[in-house]
Amino acid sequence: MTDLKYIIETLLLLAVPLVPVAAGLILRRKFPAAAEGATPATGAQKAGRLAGNILFWGGLAGILFMVVVVLNFKGKI
Amino acid sequence: MKKITLLITLCLLAAGAARAAGDAAWDKNRPEFKYFQEQDLYSEDSWQELAPEARNEALEKAEEPALERHDAELADYAAINRKWGLQEADQQVRRLNAEKIKAVYLWVGNKEGHELNHKVYVVKAMLAKASTEGINDADAQALTPYMLPGAIKDMRSMKAAAEMAQKQQAGVKAQGPGSQSTAKLDKFAAGTHGKMNAGKLSNLYTGSKATGDADVMLAGGAPKAGAKLPGSTAPNTTTAKTVKYTAPAALDEAGRTKSTAWTSDAYGYTITANGETKTYRDAAKAKEAIRQLPNGSVSKIILYGHGSPGMQTVGPESYDAADTAALMKGKMAKDGVIQFAGCNTASIGGATLNPAVGLSMITRRLLYFSLPYFGDRSSGTPAAEAKEQWEKGWNADLARDTSAGMKGAIVCGYRTFGLVPGRLPGLTKLMGSQEATTPGYVAGKKACYQDGKEVPVP
Repeated sequence: MTDLKYIIETLLLLAVPLVPVAAGLILRRKFPAAAEGATPATGAQKAGRLAGNILFWGGLAGILFMVVVVLNFKGKI
Repeated sequence: MKKITLLITLCLLAAGAARAAGDAAWDKNRPEFKYFQEQDLYSEDSWQELAPEARNEALEKAEEPALERHDAELADYAAINRKWGLQEADQQVRRLNAEKIKAVYLWVGNKEGHELNHKVYVVKAMLAKASTEGINDADAQALTPYMLPGAIKDMRSMKAAAEMAQKQQAGVKAQGPGSQSTAKLDKFAAGTHGKMNAGKLSNLYTGSKATGDADVMLAGGAPKAGAKLPGSTAPNTTTAKTVKYTAPAALDEAGRTKSTAWTSDAYGYTITANGETKTYRDAAKAKEAIRQLPNGSVSKIILYGHGSPGMQTVGPESYDAADTAALMKGKMAKDGVIQFAGCNTASIGGATLNPAVGLSMITRRLLYFSLPYFGDRSSGTPAAEAKEQWEKGWNADLARDTSAGMKGAIVCGYRTFGLVPGRLPGLTKLMGSQEATTPGYVAGKKACYQDGKEVPVP
């Protein structure tokens, strides 16, 4: 039971950095960049795309941060 | 009357026989029965089959040797059940074979036997690792319950010593890690202070502009006598100003050549005392310099290296709260600052909305709890024991614990992993900071304590 609790905890902790990346990806798909000649994006669409970009790239940066920390922990950096 | 006497005698005899039979029942906790098991004389089943007289006779015979074995095993266990030095560890892991550990299980107890088994397993594995690939912070932490701090320090330098011996054997002139240094260290440290004092970057964690080295000035930039000490409302009036001392040559005076490595090997001691700041990489020189300083003269010391919950390394040296207190005993000025410039040298603190701090918390939990917990479980440690060991260790607060033993001094550590730009591979070469002794800018969330209570970052 103790093991199961900690396995679930570990999986959740590992999943946390992926949440903003996934949310960012969804937003980026929902609000794609305006194609040439298409109707210009509204303010809300632009804001949605921006939020998606921030979440996506911020999330990736967070994962990169964790990788750097783990490498440092392992003595590779 | 005769009948009554006879009846009483019979009753007494019956009671005596019953008592004797009761005493001779199998009792795994009695030394005699442990002795039977160890010598493979009787098992619980074969004991039941014995006649009462034979049982009593066997017990009588076993009493003396059993008590001797019992006392000897308890004394031996008491000698084993403490932190080991390096030499002792080496001897003990050779001596404590399966048979010996089995004896501890039998004579001392299951829990003790299991703990000893785990201790031998960990120490044996780490001794092997130390001389081949070297031990890292997590390994050092795993060893902390079992080995003396000095022994862990020695184990950290075992790989370098082995390599050096190999080089010497091969006829190559060995060069210690301190033989390559940076002639531009002064320039770098001063440079990073200026260039890297980027308050905006600090916002990554805290939004504060605390950089960890804001009040550190290298020699030549020392505050004038009478100037206020950092974090102090009183002028720098340590009585020690007139006391002369000769500190060992600091690194910035050594004029050695610069390391050209792509990755960082930065660590060191930065000591500010009597308005003068000196930096050292060599622990022996730093300790000697501190020893020669007058009492109450150190306004700031930065211990720069790798940190982990409850421990900080400075090169091959490692410091826990007691080590640090011993190192700086009596030397700190009032409100003087001891800065642990290493990751996770304070506890994680309360909840946060800062995503960078959150990620750091998650990583700390994964590295210092989840990984070692599952490592222990895979090596057969019971869940309750592994949980107890790692739950209490992963969020240890070195800064708070140190401050509790350093009256009046402010002790600061990092609640998070600290990112030091000067340590990034490649950048470290570009900046010439491979062997820097001060961290310069650190992106991390600081926490400071005085007398065990949290105080604002000075």
